[in-house]
Amino acid sequence: MQVYLPIAEMSVDAFLLLGIGFGVGWLSGMFGVGGGFLLTPLLILIGIPAPVAVASGANQTVGASVSGLIAQWRRGNVDLRMGGVLLVGGFAGSFLGVQVFAWLRRQGQVDLAVAIFYVVVLGSVGALMVRESVRAILHRRKGKVGRRLHAHFWMHGLPFKMRFRKSRLYISVIPPVLVGFGIGILSAIMGVGGGFMLVPAMIYLLGMPTSVVIGTSLFQVVFVAANVTLLQAVTTGSVDIVLTLLLLIGGVAGAQFGAAMGTRLRGEETRALLGAMVLAVAGSLLWGLLRTPESLYVIGPLP
Amino acid sequence: MAAALALLLLLPGALQAQVPLPQAPTIPLPGSGPLLPPPPVPPAVLPPALLPAAPALDAPPADPTTRMARPALVAELSQQTVDITTGFTGTQLLVFGATDRLLGPQPDGTPGDDVLVIAQNAPEPMIVRRKIEVLGFWINGPSARFRSVPGFYVVTGTRPLRDMLPDIERSTKHLGLDKLPLASTGVQDPGYREALLQLKQNAGQWREQETPMHIAGSRLFRARLDLPATVQTGDYQVQVLLVRQGRVLARQELGFRVERVGAAAQIAEVAEQQPLVYGMFCVLLAAFAGWMGSVLFRRS
Repeated sequence: MQVYLPIAEMSVDAFLLLGIGFGVGWLSGMFGVGGGFLLTPLLILIGIPAPVAVASGANQTVGASVSGLIAQWRRGNVDLRMGGVLLVGGFAGSFLGVQVFAWLRRQGQVDLAVAIFYVVVLGSVGALMVRESVRAILHRRKGKVGRRLHAHFWMHGLPFKMRFRKSRLYISVIPPVLVGFGIGILSAIMGVGGGFMLVPAMIYLLGMPTSVVIGTSLFQVVFVAANVTLLQAVTTGSVDIVLTLLLLIGGVAGAQFGAAMGTRLRGEETRALLGAMVLAVAGSLLWGLLRTPESLYVIGPLP
Repeated sequence: MAAALALLLLLPGALQAQVPLPQAPTIPLPGSGPLLPPPPVPPAVLPPALLPAAPALDAPPADPTTRMARPALVAELSQQTVDITTGFTGTQLLVFGATDRLLGPQPDGTPGDDVLVIAQNAPEPMIVRRKIEVLGFWINGPSARFRSVPGFYVVTGTRPLRDMLPDIERSTKHLGLDKLPLASTGVQDPGYREALLQLKQNAGQWREQETPMHIAGSRLFRARLDLPATVQTGDYQVQVLLVRQGRVLARQELGFRVERVGAAAQIAEVAEQQPLVYGMFCVLLAAFAGWMGSVLFRRS
């Protein structure tokens, strides 16, 4: 069933969009990631213009993340205090990131910069996660006691300590604010919710237990994605509500199924799967940068 | 329709008196008078429903003895607006009409007239970038900026364009893909122009059709314009040219408009004019959908 998208100015198969939304929503409920880093390339692959794909993808991420967040909330997996602290840093970081993005656009090399960012960040995050979680799975199989994921960094001893009950932590607020700030910058440049960076950062840098990480990360993703959607709508007007609606219908259903599935997995397995997926996306992006393109020339409207 | 067109040809006088039109006039062929003097018929006899919207005819001369010669070329479009609704998947427009003399190759071997149809939309600036390899990565390198590039350009005719008109005529009148005026700033490498031609043709937005137009009874011609689902909105211009012995003798300009209507148009308008409201609405809609999803698909 073909449907015409008013902002993208093209028609696509409605069922294809529903399916893509469901798949990405499933991943978001399961891993606590917004899915933007998968959704935007998928939309571009089926022929939707890049600005519309990025903006509508961010919009869909809001919906799927809210759905996943509510599911995790019901299971008591959201640390609101930690989420709030991360958010403060996140807002500041995303505003700065938008300025950096605008500067890159003026230089004319925004495609290359974004692709390199993706490859570097996704690649390192994915590799670290896979390595750590595989080691943990092997340790568990050999019967060793699960060792602590983090040593207490010197950063945790900084001033302004707060008690984060849900995460069972008593650490300084400075690391979470810095983590939120850094990820905010990266999210604005790469046009994503930031969940796939936030989840490993929370686990390895802050030392939160994996069960709370997913819900708290979704909390951050909802607000960052909403921020990106608003900024995109105001600056370029490229949010396509019909596209978003179709993706949402699939996405919110998928997020629920994903969340239910995710609780059945152990922390190490979740991390291993997420790491593998992130590595796969990084690999395909790197391949896209290195292989000889089909056409040496690219045409487009004058920016 | 054929009957109506025949009436049209035989009664130019009556039509001139009836319908003033804003379109460009046909340029009649000098030296070819009408084969028959048009019989004077009072306009009241002809029911208006029989006459299709008459194409370009000049304001009538006051003195009936200086009546204009029968037009050499007459053409029309099947529709003047293309409405993009929610279920739009592309559409087809027909360009049809008739000529004074016989069209196409005749059974006795004499070549008849030819008709050429060119459809295009308003040109816009475009940029062509060349990819270069730096340390293994393919990045965007030097670029050429083209000031006026038509987004849509389709050429079709009763014979292939190259057979109809010589190179000189095509160059001066800018007819055909290879004669498009594409002035560029930036890198002055002809490769960029060729790339633009190639990529636009690959996307199906520029076409020089080899299969000839349909001709009926050596007088009526019909061309089909395919508009894809990704067609741009805006005003389109269709030129219909009469070609004889390598020269363009008559030219008529028609136009149509592509626009969004209904829900699609309203959404696009709100998105453009009240972006903040639209953005907030999108976010809230997404949040609400998320909440609904958690309620409907509850699995705990």
